[in-house]
Amino acid sequence: MTKEWQVRFRVNGNSVMVSVPPMTSLAEILRQQLGLTGTKIGCNNGECGACTVIMNGKAVASCLVLAPQVAGADIRTIEGVGGDKALHPIQQAFLDEGAVQCGYCTPGMVMSAVALLEENPNPGEAEVKDAISGNLCRCTGYQKIIRAIRHYAAGR
Amino acid sequence: MTDYRYIGKPIDRVDALEKVRGTARFVGDYHLPGMLYARCLRSELPHARIVKLDVTPALQVPGVVAVITSDDFIDHGRFGFPISDLFMLAYEKVRYVGEGIACVAAETPEAALAGTKAILCELEELPAIFDMEHALDPNAPQIGPAREDGKHPNFLGHFPVYDGDPEAVLVDCDAVIDQNYETVMQEHAYIETEGSLAIPTVEGGVLAYVSCQSPFIARGHIMRTLGLGETAARVINPPVGGSFGGKDDLNYMTAGQVACLALKTKRPVRMTFSREESMIASYKRGAMRMRVRVGADKAGKLRACHFKATYDSGAYSSQSPFTSWRASIHAMGPYRYDACTVDLTTVYTNNGFAGAFRGFGNPEVYAGIEQAIDELAEKLGIDPLDFRLQNCLRLGDTTPHGQTLTESVGLSDCLLAVRKASDWERKRAAYAHQSDPDRRRGIGVTALFHGTSLGAEGTDEATGTIEIHQDNRVTLTSGLTDYGPGSRTVYCMIAAEMLGVDIQRINIHLPDTNLAKDSGPTVASRSTMLGGNATRIAALNLRQNLDYAAADLLGCEVFQLQRAGESYLGPSEEPVPWEVVVEHARRMGLVLSTFGRWSAPKIHWDEEAGRGVPYFAYHFGAQIAEVEVDLRTGLTDVLNYYAAHDAGKVIFPQGAYGQIYGGVAQGLGYALYEDVDYMDGYLQSINFDTYLIPTSVDVPEINGSFVETHYSQGPFGAKNIAEPAMVPVAPTILNAIAQATGRRVRKLPANLERVLLGETLHKKGSPVSCKVALKSV
Ligand code: FES
Ligand code: FES
Repeated sequence: MTKEWQVRFRVNGNSVMVSVPPMTSLAEILRQQLGLTGTKIGCNNGECGACTVIMNGKAVASCLVLAPQVAGADIRTIEGVGGDKALHPIQQAFLDEGAVQCGYCTPGMVMSAVALLEENPNPGEAEVKDAISGNLCRCTGYQKIIRAIRHYAAGR
Repeated sequence: MTDYRYIGKPIDRVDALEKVRGTARFVGDYHLPGMLYARCLRSELPHARIVKLDVTPALQVPGVVAVITSDDFIDHGRFGFPISDLFMLAYEKVRYVGEGIACVAAETPEAALAGTKAILCELEELPAIFDMEHALDPNAPQIGPAREDGKHPNFLGHFPVYDGDPEAVLVDCDAVIDQNYETVMQEHAYIETEGSLAIPTVEGGVLAYVSCQSPFIARGHIMRTLGLGETAARVINPPVGGSFGGKDDLNYMTAGQVACLALKTKRPVRMTFSREESMIASYKRGAMRMRVRVGADKAGKLRACHFKATYDSGAYSSQSPFTSWRASIHAMGPYRYDACTVDLTTVYTNNGFAGAFRGFGNPEVYAGIEQAIDELAEKLGIDPLDFRLQNCLRLGDTTPHGQTLTESVGLSDCLLAVRKASDWERKRAAYAHQSDPDRRRGIGVTALFHGTSLGAEGTDEATGTIEIHQDNRVTLTSGLTDYGPGSRTVYCMIAAEMLGVDIQRINIHLPDTNLAKDSGPTVASRSTMLGGNATRIAALNLRQNLDYAAADLLGCEVFQLQRAGESYLGPSEEPVPWEVVVEHARRMGLVLSTFGRWSAPKIHWDEEAGRGVPYFAYHFGAQIAEVEVDLRTGLTDVLNYYAAHDAGKVIFPQGAYGQIYGGVAQGLGYALYEDVDYMDGYLQSINFDTYLIPTSVDVPEINGSFVETHYSQGPFGAKNIAEPAMVPVAPTILNAIAQATGRRVRKLPANLERVLLGETLHKKGSPVSCKVALKSV
């Protein structure tokens, strides 16, 4: 049996502790240990961005982050964006623009968008495209996602 | 023009909120106490006889609870329509790398994998066929099922269209193009991989959550292969994370496997694929090789087309009889000819397997015909857009199939729309004379028609139900799935419009075989037309009862009723709230749940004669791509894209534009990078690091528009949209590349080496990554 590691970190403002084998990814910890299934897995290989979360202020592919790296980190997932009732304005912008189709890429897209907008409240088209270039979407052709992020930024 | 409250107006998708919050539950998100994880042992050989299959050692592996093989199903789990050549798990033989042989259920995914490794499976390798040109050689090894009609077992079908004698006309033409074109297989690349969850029920049946095209088909296969009665199997469609035709036959196997394991273990069983397993095991868009001959006279009148092609269905037939047929119907493009022959033959090989994929055979044939048409225009010295305008199908024309188009033909308007939007004339002229030695621009155009719904592929019928509950909420059911296109929203819009109520009142259930009635598969972009009409009729039936109640309440005749918002008005013009009318209907004993069924207009196709009325209506469209090619690297950048589509009346604009954008992006990948490369039967790209699909930086701004020609049989005049936007993208881009570089790329994709060198570099392949992935978590 592989030895388990105890990892303490913060998720959406709450402090949590999990006990997992060291090769467990953050995506698995979130989904399996913590039941935060809004974070999706599409490739488990750092290629699709479905698993994007914000770690210490930066958007990361949580399938590539292993348990030991999570210790002490501050993690934000889709469940921590917007409140129980209210949506984060970027989520509202996704709705308004019709940026959601099958919705499987959506949580990851929203997380990349939130990370971008917190760092750069007024991104240009190229910056928006670049920020979500690691998030694959097979449904939308990205048009409305880009529009949603840009309109939100412009409207603030 | 009628003024609608919802139809054609902006509205949010009904399921967008939970998706944007991350609370929508996809199959892989389900977790139940005591749930087991399932994993398949999959073939590492492209063609082999199963000599020995002993699962007992797997049962000794700690954590393994049960193992199944084809013996655990009735008739070895044979299924498939129209050709029953698939099995829930391989029986006697395997025919492609990745085919499921046995399935293990265990306490953890790791134990399930260990279980698959412990199975004693002895395979005797058989000679295989990887080149479709040799599938029908007399001595070719048998891949397809044995047949009694004396035909080659690797022959899957012949799909002709015959209209006169093109040979005789071609010799008479002033200009003729005779060229070969080729497409390769394409991966659906839905971001959610395949998955199913089965839960044993108290009565000894199963409840399954399946990410798939049709819960009814999944249930049918489960019932038949496991010997369950109709009521003992229930299938629900959770949200589907993209499908594009892909979550059909393969995921029905997954569903059958977990259902079988759930019955055996009496515990919930879930299977979710890794990306690698998904890519290796799943079926693809088939590959096609075409020889296209088209001829015209000097004045630019198209005269004849002879289209001959071979289509590779891989190891199983799956949907290929239907895709091939659809491909044959559209292979000559949306044009008038004096004579036309289409001659398409579909064969079995050991290259994975081909099945349903957005466009259903049409992206393949358009890659041929729409380049050939361009080449012919060039040879005649005619502008390719003018050439299409001159020859395209118009109202009153008779197609090469013998069908006269009597309504809703907006093709020439689509061509005119993209010509204007793209500033075609100026750019086409400017790009004809460029001096930059490194970067060249080009602009290209295509035209399309695409039969809506199933056509003569099958019986076309859908049903829907609608009900007003005690608390006055209205719920709908439809048997058609929504895996992204937004058809559930369309149904809510139609119901709200017909009933004259606020859309917020309307809810729609997830497709569930216990709640909805069978509506056939959600394929072929049939949901708006079929499901929309069924919903419209169900809602009309309900409104009729409410109208009786309102007239009774207001002391007038039904025809005197008026509406103000939701309220009813009679001659006295005193508004009565909708709820009061509903309450009155209840008191009158009128039923408040109704049903609607809609059957498509009759059509017929004579498979031998290659003539008939293949579809009751067609979607039309025109697209233009503007590219810049780097002559040093062969890299193509799509700068602008224009798409105009005649989808009839557009009911849900937000969804319809989404289909254009998504379809163009998927077609852009097909045009430029996507290549499912089987090297001796082993897939070379098994994740997104090597199988490239377009990202946000690859897709240009897409200028989409609609030409709305009313279609009398569609709900509110609608036709369909989901598939066609993808269909002509590859040849549109290839035509633009041809203008930019002066050289044709006749084999997809137009990757760097083909654009730069005009040929494919020989690549070395390896079976290693497939083999490793099939053994990894
Ligand atoms: S699942 Fe992490 S990037 Fe795809
Ligand atoms: S909405 Fe389906 S993958 Fe993005």
